[in-house]
Order: sequence, then C-alpha cells, then structure tokens
Amino acid sequence: MNGAILAGDSITLSLGGRSILNSAYVDAVPGAITALVGRSGAGKTTFFNVLIGRRRPELGYVRWRGERVPHPSLAALARHGLFYHPDRPWLALHLSFVEHMALAGRIEWRAVAEEFGITPWVERKVGSLSGGELRLTELAFGFALAPAAALLDEPFRGLEPKHREEVAIALRRLASAGAAVLYADHDVESVRRTADRLFSMENGGTRLVTGFKERPLHEWYHEWPR
Amino acid sequence: MDTTGRWERTKVQAHVRLAAWLRSPLFRSYLRRFILLWVAGKIANGATAAVLEIQPFAFRPGTELVTFAFEIGVLVLLIKRANEDILLGNLGMSVAMVIAPLAVVQVVLSALVALLAT
Repeated sequence: MNGAILAGDSITLSLGGRSILNSAYVDAVPGAITALVGRSGAGKTTFFNVLIGRRRPELGYVRWRGERVPHPSLAALARHGLFYHPDRPWLALHLSFVEHMALAGRIEWRAVAEEFGITPWVERKVGSLSGGELRLTELAFGFALAPAAALLDEPFRGLEPKHREEVAIALRRLASAGAAVLYADHDVESVRRTADRLFSMENGGTRLVTGFKERPLHEWYHEWPR
Repeated sequence: MDTTGRWERTKVQAHVRLAAWLRSPLFRSYLRRFILLWVAGKIANGATAAVLEIQPFAFRPGTELVTFAFEIGVLVLLIKRANEDILLGNLGMSVAMVIAPLAVVQVVLSALVALLAT
C-alpha cells in the first residue's frame, strides 16, 4: 500500500485469443505525475479501458484508494473523483466552455480559465477551436471538476511544441493541486521531462522504473522503442 | 470483507443534478434528436398498423417499449460516435439518468397522439 488513489492490479486480458495484458500493475499517487510508457499497441489504452470499466479483465481488479472497485465504470469512478481524458476530442462540440461549466454546476470557472490561458475562447463553441486550444479547454474542464485522480491517454499526441509545453504545465497544475495524475505516452524524452514516476509496459507486463531522470538516457532508453 | 460497502462510502457526489441536467443545452440537443426518432418510429408503427388494419396511433405498451428501446439504441450510438459518453461519464452521469427523462417524453407524446387520434 503506497497511498495510491487509483490502481490497476494484476490485470490480465486477452483479445481475439492474443494476450494483451499479463498481470499488469500501474498505480497513481497523489501530487505526482505518473507516466505509463510503451510502444504503440503495447496495451496502454487497453489498460486504461480496464481502469474505467470499458474492458473486463480475465484476472485482476481496479482499486480506488486501496479499495477494490466491484463494477468499475467511468461514471461511478467520476462520482468518487476521477477525471478521464481519452486520446480523442470528447467535449460536446456545439457547446462552449462556459456552457460545459454550467452543466457541471461550476459557477466559478474564471480563475481556472485564466490559469489555463483559455479565457479568449471560453464563449466559443469548442467545435471551432484548434487542436491545441481544444486540448487545453478539455484539461481546464477536468481541472475545474477538482479531481482526486486524472487519467489521460496520450495527452500530447498531435500537438505543436508550444501547446505540448502548455499541456505539460496543465498536468503539473493538476498534480500540484493534489491530484494523482496518470498518463500514457510513447515519447520517452517527453516523459523524462514531465513525469515524476514511470511505469514501462512491455509484452503486456509492467514494471516501475526508478532513476529515469538521473540516469543517462542511453542506460534505459533502449528498453522502450519509440 | 465487505469492500463494496467501503467503496460506496467514499463516493463524493454526482457533478450534475437532475434539475440542472433537464435545463442544460446538452439535454435539449438529445431531446430534439429523440423527438425526431420518436416521429420516425411513430410513422413506421402507424404504417405497419394501417397495413394490419388496426388503429394506427393507439397506445400499445409493448410496441412503445420496443420502439423506445430502438430509439434509445440509436441515440446512444450517436452519443458514443461524438464521444459525449466520455463527457457524461466525467460528469458522473449514468446512462439511466440520461434515458429516464426520455422515457417520460415517449409515454406523454404517444399517449397524447393516441388521445388525439380517437
């Protein structure tokens, strides 16, 4: 027990007769950014789908604050404080950020909008935003929900360097506010700059990597193909 | 060990209350789409009933239930295609909370049409 908010424990799953996850374990602790690294197709998204109940594992279970979650679902976990960000746009495109905030019952959104630098477009329909603007808006929305844990699938994918930097700052804001941030990525250099903790995923299994910030990249980089 | 009970007790709360949901532009957009689906279902049912030479717009609970299931199935597909199920999930909203008000709409509209048709 390490004070983890969210954990997938001993997750084993096969799809179409092919083993995808093999006793995989990943957790997220409060105040830290934890990265799950693995090549494309390694099973990161599948693991996240197990965490939010979209996939039922053959073995293993999801834990929330150390307690086993009987029937995980995004709605159920969100009611306990989880925020999930998939690798595709998910806000309602015909609504603005302000309308989303009204839906969530959050009246005081201005400070969050200011903090995330999205004030200029809070009244615009999110469908009219650029990819980077939309990603920041989604993260600001998640931040406004004050989550205990944030689960993000490839949050940097397809972004320009400027927006990548802004998203990294947004993740740090979430962690600094006490949230347990867990995100998946396949870019080891980016992870090295952004994450505090690192799990690698290979052949369906996972392991916690220590010293990845201090150790020269060549000592561990070969272990995770781009 | 009753882990289910302990899990339930750590619940914070749903982000969205039913009254706020019913007033929201997102619910209104689902309502508009649902009414279009209801009209399509009513026309299809009416045409089938006419062929069978029975009252086209009578209120038949079994038929209403099957039609409602079909309409909700299409609506859920549209919601998932737009990834709005993720938005609803992040707001702590179950599918039941989205569907329940539409079941009332189905019954009221169909009963009203049956009443007008007699």
